[in-house]
Amino acid sequence: MAKIELTVNGTREAREVEDRTLLVDLLRDHLGLTGTHIGCDTSQCGCCTVHVDGRAVKSCTMLAAQANGATVVTIEGMAKGDQLHPVQQAFTDCHALQCGFCTPGMIMATAALLKDNPQPTDEEIYHGLEGNLCRCTGYINIVKAVKQAAETMK
Amino acid sequence: MSEKHAANRREDLRLITGRGRYSSDMNLPGQLHASFLRCDCAHAEIVAINAKPALKRPGVVAVFTGEDAMAAGYKDFPNLLTFTNRAGATLIKPERPVIAHGRVRFVGETVAMVVAESALAAQDALDAIEVTYKDLPVVVDAEAALAAGAPQLHTNVPGNLNFEWDTGDAAAVEQAFKQAAHITKLKVVSPRVVPSPMEPRAAVIGYDTATDSYDVYTNSQGIIMMRWQFAALTGVAEEKLRFHLHDVGGSFGQRSAVYPEHGALMIAAKKLGRPVKWVSSRSEGFLSDSHGRSLIMAGELAMDRDGKFLAARYNFVCDMGAYLTPTGTASHVRNPAICTTGVYKIPALYANFRVAMTNTAPIAAYRGAGRPDIAYVVERLVDQAAVDLKIDRAELRRRNFIPLNEFPYKTPTMGVYEASDFNGCLAKALKAADWDGFAVRREAARKRGKLRGIGLSTTIEGTAAGMFPKDQIAIEFDAQGRLEVFTVALSQGQGHETTFAQVVADTLGVDAHDVTLRESVQGKNIAGNHTGGSRSLVGAGSICKVAAQKLIEQARPLAAEALELEPSQVEYAKGVFSARDGTKSVGLLELAKKHAGKNPHPLNLVAEGSVGATFPNGCHVAEVEIDPETGVSEIAAYTACDDSGAVINHAIVEGQVHGGVAMGAGQVFGERVFYDPASGQLLSGSFSDYAMPRAGWVRNINISEHPVISKVNVLGAKGVGEAGCTASLSSLVTAALDAVRPLGIQHLDMPLTASRMWQVIQQAQQAKVK
Amino acid sequence: MFQFSYLKAKSLADAAALAKTNPDAKLMSGGMTLLPTLKQGLAQPSHLIDIGGLSELSGIEVKGDTLIIGAATRHYDVASSAAVKKAIPALAYLASLIGDPQVRNRGTLGGSVANNDPAADYPAAVLALNAKIITNRREIAAEDFFQGMFATALEEGEIIVKIAFPLPKHAAYEKFPHPASGYAMAGVFIAETTSGVRVAVTGAGPGVFRWSDAEAALAKGLKAGVLDKLKVAADDLNEDFHATREYRANLVQVMGKRALQKLVA
Repeated sequence: MAKIELTVNGTREAREVEDRTLLVDLLRDHLGLTGTHIGCDTSQCGCCTVHVDGRAVKSCTMLAAQANGATVVTIEGMAKGDQLHPVQQAFTDCHALQCGFCTPGMIMATAALLKDNPQPTDEEIYHGLEGNLCRCTGYINIVKAVKQAAETMK
Repeated sequence: MSEKHAANRREDLRLITGRGRYSSDMNLPGQLHASFLRCDCAHAEIVAINAKPALKRPGVVAVFTGEDAMAAGYKDFPNLLTFTNRAGATLIKPERPVIAHGRVRFVGETVAMVVAESALAAQDALDAIEVTYKDLPVVVDAEAALAAGAPQLHTNVPGNLNFEWDTGDAAAVEQAFKQAAHITKLKVVSPRVVPSPMEPRAAVIGYDTATDSYDVYTNSQGIIMMRWQFAALTGVAEEKLRFHLHDVGGSFGQRSAVYPEHGALMIAAKKLGRPVKWVSSRSEGFLSDSHGRSLIMAGELAMDRDGKFLAARYNFVCDMGAYLTPTGTASHVRNPAICTTGVYKIPALYANFRVAMTNTAPIAAYRGAGRPDIAYVVERLVDQAAVDLKIDRAELRRRNFIPLNEFPYKTPTMGVYEASDFNGCLAKALKAADWDGFAVRREAARKRGKLRGIGLSTTIEGTAAGMFPKDQIAIEFDAQGRLEVFTVALSQGQGHETTFAQVVADTLGVDAHDVTLRESVQGKNIAGNHTGGSRSLVGAGSICKVAAQKLIEQARPLAAEALELEPSQVEYAKGVFSARDGTKSVGLLELAKKHAGKNPHPLNLVAEGSVGATFPNGCHVAEVEIDPETGVSEIAAYTACDDSGAVINHAIVEGQVHGGVAMGAGQVFGERVFYDPASGQLLSGSFSDYAMPRAGWVRNINISEHPVISKVNVLGAKGVGEAGCTASLSSLVTAALDAVRPLGIQHLDMPLTASRMWQVIQQAQQAKVK
Repeated sequence: MFQFSYLKAKSLADAAALAKTNPDAKLMSGGMTLLPTLKQGLAQPSHLIDIGGLSELSGIEVKGDTLIIGAATRHYDVASSAAVKKAIPALAYLASLIGDPQVRNRGTLGGSVANNDPAADYPAAVLALNAKIITNRREIAAEDFFQGMFATALEEGEIIVKIAFPLPKHAAYEKFPHPASGYAMAGVFIAETTSGVRVAVTGAGPGVFRWSDAEAALAKGLKAGVLDKLKVAADDLNEDFHATREYRANLVQVMGKRALQKLVA
């Protein structure tokens, strides 16, 4: 068993889990943070994207043990009280989600993309979202939302 | 956090903050976890199963096999195709035990289910189950399956042919073909796809011993359809099946049906007296989710000297995989039959459909469910005819469109079309796409070393008629007097909470945020159709308007009473009842609050109605650029002009078009299911091998609307969910074909992967050299 | 995923010791290939020894005419490093094409090279640039390191510490990604080094290889167009349901041609 201590959305958490526990399972099953989704098992879809120490990672391809001591932010930690994160706001404004299942991962990937590159071109957005699949929107409005968020965060 | 932040859809706030509730998020106290052992061979006898070693593994509570499925009698799935053919024969339905018994027929079929205290424990125990198989010969191609000497899948399905059905007048068509000046023939495939909604399948099923009843949490397209199918499969009475349906992470037809795993979980929940949860991995989803499409379609079109269409005939081979799903057959037979004439006046028509079994995953509805397929073969034929006759592709269409004055138009097969303006739609789309200016763009591309082509489609689909004869909507007021609208439809991303509330609010003249939609709620005794086939706005949505109108009338006497007036002296406008002389008034919602707490609330009501078939249609124009060096295709421009009838929410309609076109682009350029013909192994079993559309595949869509208001429902809506898929297959493929036609290439089949496109170009270039 | 024990190595020496005590253990750096492999049930190590965070394996520096990158350096850090961009921009560019952003945030140079996936990007750069793989035991020339599909010169318990890339005069990389996986269907790295032009190909064959015909052609003159008509033999290339070996041969030629255009531009 692995003893894991980490900060999730600003809260210190400690759990003892099987060594093989994935970070996403720790978040969903042990911490009840079900906003992070599992859409595949080959590290392709990005539904499970969270931030670990400020970087976007696929939490299905990381052991909880590897996140020991880390600072993790999930979709549940993006809004500040009543205030949506600009990326969240842009996603609803631009109708960038339909079923919503890929959305938490898309939002986390977008936030990381903009942190790295605050004013991306279309090509850079496509490249930046290569790790995230959406089956509903055709991505057109997602790209719009990324641009809107970039504008608001200027 | 309040809803005011979510400027657009009502459902967005919870979904963007991680508070959606999907099936895999559900947990019941005391639940166990199931994991399925799936066979790794495509066709085999199960000689023996020894599950005992698995029982010794830590945490394992029970193991179930085909014996348990047979003992429960869970083996006969319902099927929506109920009509007979001309000879009076009905569809032959092979047995499908919810856990395979005696034989397996496709890779990934369930052979055992382990139930354990944790999901990991259940998965760990799978490799302890010993199964001995005796391999049988395999057939994965539907035409091969129908050929003499093919391996036989089911003893009661001779020649692997479940059903043969035809429609139209073969003799009249034959006669017309004899007189034709020109006949265009082709054979195309609509390749198999894996629907791949982003949320994998999941279910939690609980059993209540006291009442001998079940609680089901699963992904679905609507409560009524699901309950009916569960009951039909298991023999459990519908009132003993309670469904708790929440957010659904996409479906596209894939969640329209009950699955074997549902039945297996019910067996386990009852036997063990504890709820049992199962969450599919994506890998097992690739193997065991229903797949879509997989049709082989031959078409012939006869015309006179001027390109006037005289007759057409089609021959469809519909691959159903190893078993019939509830929705697959109707999708592939009935739905295409409705639109064999496309948007054209074709006096004589005939279509023949053969439904075949293969050693592959079962096929079910997939966005469009047969509609994109028939539209594709019709449009490919018309496009080829234009090339053959050297007539402009748009012009040939204009000559043959069903004219405005011939609606309602009864087709020679089975549809009766509502009015549409095909010519107007085409004109608008061609203008928006700058069809006439294409030569310049082709030349510019040529200078960059690219082959650029343009394609168009003018397609139509029959939808909305629904499986159940009527749709009901309930309006109820809760204890605080707040207005709630109940429907049995269930959004999988379509945004009903926004659109339906908007319909009710607009009809009442109140703020949309004062209306809350509740979908597929257990215990609400209302009827109607699930969400599918572009129909929810037309059906449930239009009844929302009827219900709101009914509410005004039901409230009028109460308003009169409150205002101390005769009902005839009370007027209603913008959410308020007023005296005719304007002296006093009471708001509808205020009135409802006054009566809050009464049981039942006096304003509660149920409205209902039946809607007829609608025929969404449109003209899409695509431009595709191909890199001849690598075979890579890019969508260079895309224009969509759709007649979806009246539009309630333009943003949502555009979103549906975006998603539908991208899905079509996936089928056209990337998605490829590959079953090895010799072994029946699925080699494209993950997102690492199956190319899903990604950001940038479809960069922009120039969208316009050309609505002709529907008469079959009070909203005037026709529907839009499937339009993008239906129109994009042919517009994209014919654009690609137009790009390479100068090289001497006459035919292309989906998917146009880079490697295949390169190969076709190579062959053409080599042929030219010779 | 089968059960295993997770061990976090405290130092390079500790990692080596742990590997020695646990012969069925696997070393894990970013885990971007290993974890999916375990999830598919394709491997059953007794232990995972996490070397991802070891300071001895980190760092990017230019020493004289060599760029040295620590094995645990993540792809993102290579792609965005000012030092790499200045020293070998083609290498930074290559790193920016690996997988996707999330993978680049976790995956490491050493992990990728040690795994030697025949469709991974880094091996092309390592081989073309004639880099040295420095392990906890020795230095291995790129030429000797890669030994075909998933096979390398690494011995049991041997750990890559850093990789030293001699600075080329010019270098360029072009990749044709697999449309689903993002791995290279064909990737060609051309480097003009002090000892001549070296061309390495990944993705197309059973392992990274040098394209000797291209090297010979370029030795005669490093200018655009030299590779335009050069045929690539398809016989030894990979074939699967995605693509024929002839298509892969074509991609090698086209990517080579395009890389050369970039290199001479």
